[in-house]
Amino acid sequence: MIIIGEKINATLDAVKSIILNRDTKSLLDLTQKQASAGADYIDVNIGTGVGSQEDEIRSIKWAIESIQGQVTTPLCIDSADPKVIATGLETLNAKPSMINSAKAEKHSLEAVVPLAAEHDSLLIALAMDEDGIANTVDGRLRSCEKICTACQKYGVPIENLYIDPLVMPISTDINSGLVTLETILAIKKSFPGAKTVTGLSNVSYGLPQRRRLNIAFLHMCIFAGLDAAIVDPLDEELMAAIKTGEVLAGKDRYCRRYMRAFRK
Amino acid sequence: MTAHELLEKIAFNVIQGRVEAEDEGFDEGLEGQPGVTELVNDALAQGLEPKEIVLKGLTTSMEAVGEKFERNEYLIPDMLASAECVGVAMDILSPHLMKAGVEGKGKFVIATVAGDLHDIGKNIVAIMLKGAGYQVIDLGTDISVERITAAVKENQAPFLGLSALLTTTMRVMEEVIQQLKEEGIRDRVKVLIGGAPTSIEFAQEIGADAYCKDAFQAINLLKTTVT
Repeated sequence: MIIIGEKINATLDAVKSIILNRDTKSLLDLTQKQASAGADYIDVNIGTGVGSQEDEIRSIKWAIESIQGQVTTPLCIDSADPKVIATGLETLNAKPSMINSAKAEKHSLEAVVPLAAEHDSLLIALAMDEDGIANTVDGRLRSCEKICTACQKYGVPIENLYIDPLVMPISTDINSGLVTLETILAIKKSFPGAKTVTGLSNVSYGLPQRRRLNIAFLHMCIFAGLDAAIVDPLDEELMAAIKTGEVLAGKDRYCRRYMRAFRK
Repeated sequence: MTAHELLEKIAFNVIQGRVEAEDEGFDEGLEGQPGVTELVNDALAQGLEPKEIVLKGLTTSMEAVGEKFERNEYLIPDMLASAECVGVAMDILSPHLMKAGVEGKGKFVIATVAGDLHDIGKNIVAIMLKGAGYQVIDLGTDISVERITAAVKENQAPFLGLSALLTTTMRVMEEVIQQLKEEGIRDRVKVLIGGAPTSIEFAQEIGADAYCKDAFQAINLLKTTVT
């Protein structure tokens, strides 16, 4: 399972001030901690919600230039704005990268998918289109279809595509978890080669003891074939749960990673 | 790589339990480096003696694995990974050994007795024996007294290994030995037994030639007392 570290996200107050104050030391610290905790990619979202597009472009340049050369873990450029993504990829200058994300909307696909092709970047694409997030598996698959077609059109190999089936809270619709799980299975079947990625914690929104649900859901997603997760790598329980899930699902040959983590 | 380095690399990767380049090892970060398959093929291509590859690359390293297992440093999957390396290496080397006229150590029939489906321990022993140069005839699990004795007879095997993990099935071992006697071939085959409920005392009681606590003891016994 590919682990994408989610902590550099400017919607969080602490990170927002790091970005606004150009606090390089704290930014690096947050990056390094996630890298040593086992993140395979570090998500970088500098969208503070204040300022202009120009400000965000300057912020992403600053963030990537600060991290580059200090931490070798590849970065995942996280923005809803294709211009910010493009700047991020240019700043990375052909280093391995991931884009977070495109949506199955026409404009988004046309703007973001070519960037993934041009920079040979992995691409996260969300299973939602102009009509929003479908609450059925079929609806989500229609979005996946659009994503795959765009990837083919612009020359992104399907192996580089990470589809996010999207996770909605079970507190408002008891079938939400099931729809995500079945969408993962359906993506694997309908689009061979395509990978799946998701954040998990939305599933437990509005409920007590969220961590219990998150971990149970993670295990089910692993069984369904989830390839990557956007998580907090500093959450030891969750990181342990990835190892327990993978070893039980036969994804950890000779229990290597499990034993390495837990043998005395 | 010199011949010496190559043999050391093979030994290292057997201990790490890496069959192929893509495999993870006991230690982190070895993925991508050649594993036992690639290295053994390299060694043959470089003209190393197959026998030397077995002795210096496989046997000694498997002994090291055994020691690690005894110390609880290695767990079952670690040992199975290393054993798979030896098995794969032996599959590559066997035809070359035969061509070179290297004599094997003889046929070894092995089985888990009737009523018992446990196979982990028996499999480890089988693969270790293979690595040590025996021609292993693994009958599987839940094998009847008749089938076991028939296999010994047909193959004229000088060695028989019996496994049982249940107190109820360990008694079948005694029946096997009885049957060998009745067929008049008891003195032609050494019977080694093992499995959690068995013991030296039990081996003596039923008239087996040896009790083996684990795969490594089996190999050591074969090296010293039994043969």
